[in-house]
Amino acid sequence: MDAWAAVLVVLILLAGGVCGVHTLALLVRLPGTVEAGPFLSGNRPREHALSRFHARWYAVSLLFLAFDMEMIFMYPWAVVLAETGAGALVEMFAFLALLMAGVVYAWREGALRWA
Amino acid sequence: MPETPPMTPPMTPPMTPPWTPFALFGALAVLAWGAAALDAALAGGRWPGIVTGPLRGAARELVRQRRRTVMPDVPLVRAGVCALPAAAVLAAVVLPLGERPVADLSVGVVWFNAMEVCVWWALWLTGWGVNSLHPLIGGYRFVAQGLAYELPHMFALITAALGAGSLRVSEIAAAQRGLWFAVWMPVAFAVYLVSAVAMAFWGPMDRPVGSDIAGGVRAELSGPDRLVFEAGRYLLLAVAAAAAVPLFLGGGVGPALPPWLWTALKTVAVLAVLVWARHRLPGVRMDRFTRVSWLVLIPVSLLQLLVVGVVVL
Amino acid sequence: MGLSERLLRYAAGRPRPLLAGVPHGTRVRLLAEAELTRRGWPAARSPAEADLLVVCGSPGAALAEAVEVVWADMPAPRARADLPGDLPPERVTAALDGAARHLADGRAQRLDVARRTGRSGGDHGQDEDHGSGMGGPGGLEMAGRGPDRDGLALDRLCLPLGPVLPDWPAGLLVETVAQGDVVQEARVEVLGGAGEERFWDEPWLEAARGRSVTRDEAARRTAAAHLDSLGRLLAVAGWDAEASRARRLRDRLLWERAGGEIAGDVTRFTRRVRRSRTLRWMLRGLGTIGPAPGRDGRVRGGAPDGPGTTGDGSAPRGPGTAGGAPGPAGPDRGDVPGRLEGWLARTEAALRGLGDGTRLTGDEGPRGPVGGRPPAASPAAPPVSPVLSVLSVMPGLLAGAELAAARLIIASLDPDLDQAPSSREAARA
Repeated sequence: MDAWAAVLVVLILLAGGVCGVHTLALLVRLPGTVEAGPFLSGNRPREHALSRFHARWYAVSLLFLAFDMEMIFMYPWAVVLAETGAGALVEMFAFLALLMAGVVYAWREGALRWA
Repeated sequence: MPETPPMTPPMTPPMTPPWTPFALFGALAVLAWGAAALDAALAGGRWPGIVTGPLRGAARELVRQRRRTVMPDVPLVRAGVCALPAAAVLAAVVLPLGERPVADLSVGVVWFNAMEVCVWWALWLTGWGVNSLHPLIGGYRFVAQGLAYELPHMFALITAALGAGSLRVSEIAAAQRGLWFAVWMPVAFAVYLVSAVAMAFWGPMDRPVGSDIAGGVRAELSGPDRLVFEAGRYLLLAVAAAAAVPLFLGGGVGPALPPWLWTALKTVAVLAVLVWARHRLPGVRMDRFTRVSWLVLIPVSLLQLLVVGVVVL
Repeated sequence: MGLSERLLRYAAGRPRPLLAGVPHGTRVRLLAEAELTRRGWPAARSPAEADLLVVCGSPGAALAEAVEVVWADMPAPRARADLPGDLPPERVTAALDGAARHLADGRAQRLDVARRTGRSGGDHGQDEDHGSGMGGPGGLEMAGRGPDRDGLALDRLCLPLGPVLPDWPAGLLVETVAQGDVVQEARVEVLGGAGEERFWDEPWLEAARGRSVTRDEAARRTAAAHLDSLGRLLAVAGWDAEASRARRLRDRLLWERAGGEIAGDVTRFTRRVRRSRTLRWMLRGLGTIGPAPGRDGRVRGGAPDGPGTTGDGSAPRGPGTAGGAPGPAGPDRGDVPGRLEGWLARTEAALRGLGDGTRLTGDEGPRGPVGGRPPAASPAAPPVSPVLSVLSVMPGLLAGAELAAARLIIASLDPDLDQAPSSREAARA
């Protein structure tokens, strides 16, 4: 079997399993739908939960993106390092050092502290 | 030291025996169930309750009445819930069951990484979609957790790939015939284990589904949705443990026993360690852990990468 | 529908109970918890997860309303065990058995479903009180905005904590306004229950009434009270294993009348908790009650000065534990790990009094003098119950805390609302 066909089989098996669970539940579950409030320790909500949420770690997410982009280069780099030699190692770690300098700066600015 | 990898034509993975997808499902199901049973046993459960517990829970969720919160986004929730086991199983297709994975992709490590990141999406959608505050907070907690664990995790994966000079998982396993990567890159292995716990939101890193926010992301799930979510959670834990075996513990290499059995034994051992960690350690909050992750885990994993890079040259 | 019934029966072999604690129901809660542990029924964290609601005590009107809300949110199959505060142990067991039978009974469950759909008509039957919010989608408003601590204009959400929440002090309601997961302001309210029982203070109250109580009994109660608090704090801190160990030790002391042999197990437990660097790292600096006099000296005066001072602090904390008993009554000064350490030390100290058959004197209960203590500022004033000084510092500590930290702070203060003046008398900030 082709590898991608095998992945497709895996997906079909999974989908079949999930659909099977839902179908079985449809057949055996007790009737009716409970219209519940969101769980607020025995209180009823006054407003919708969806809101402008204070994601206080957003500075970390920007930092993360910088590194995450860099990871795209690292995957092929890992494969060819042995062939390309020391130059590639130096270049990559110079790049990483620059990024780490950014991390240290962000840390000093308090970006890693939010509580 | 690892020899140069055999140059195979890229993006044309070798053929897969047709039984492997089924074997993968069987193996993961047994591992997930075993993890649940071991967890219950460590929590003081008794035979046979520890093995029937998940089944009784499944039976309850099947007969559950439908339950809706106020104006939920049902497609979003369902997509998030289903994405959890999907991410786990798809990440597992590149892991060798013995010698051969379901799909021996030439970019297996990248594939594993990409599938595993879908868990962010799954948890956040589930937490957001039910329109309830505790799950919403749980979803945001997991995104913060992702920002903390993901980079050390990726560096650990890259270190293994660098050691073997390949992104194909079976070749990484094969490169450890002489010496396990866990032995000569112990920092990367340790970082991987920490990140595995975090990505499976398990044990000390389970705050996104923590009891202090009433079960967090899954607080409003009931019925088949809860069943699929919980199954996905244990599957993900099993996959996180299983990935450590080809990446760091030599895959199916071992004396006397066949490769599949060695793979199974090593996976069970890693899984047992992860399950045990939940009982050994209190919860870890990201507002404290993030600093350690960025200022300790990332630098040490970079140093490990440098050491491996120098050795490989 | 044979399969449905069979699945119901099978699932009922291991229900997932959600406990609702009620003031003056401590004894029955402890009995129920011990029984649930014995049966291996793992606790649920939310009504969606639970199929068994265990109400421990007789709730007053406001608390009963909250319990009804949770009950209404539980999908069938569901069962409920109402355990009044004075229920004898064997009736607790019987009530749980009855609930499990009810869960297994397909006809009863279908009847429950039919009755429910008939009554609520499928919509939010219980939502009489969301007042002005009928305009918004789904009958709810969108969140309003307000300035936050970082100078941003962000949505403000009302996030009530309690009264029905896992690992939560019975009868406590903390109404918080949250932006994201940060508590901006908190208001504390007490939802009462029927009864007079103050389980943790009982030996001292009995002794004060002239009845003969041994120091052994008081030592047992003191250690169990602290282990109960420790169990709650460790559970909130995400350390289920040690939390259940603390609760198991508590149950052995109270119900199995464990003797001196328990000391070794307690020492192992305290050592594991003390040695956990992760726990210290996570708790450090949270909920610090400063050395300076409180903003509201009126009630804070109820808490004596820090450890090491003479006066109130020198009174023996428990019978047979004179000396080596750290910390004042009311909330301990310091942060969450400090209060955790206080409980650990007092548990160990109390255990030294096990087996002491002499008669109990004094009124120094687990949470301070059971009769309360006059405010330090005006010693002539009537005594203030320790719980009030705890509740009065709570809102100040919670403002600005992240939700996880807020829950840890509340767990570390662990007010015993059995001591509070009953029924919806607010202790506001």
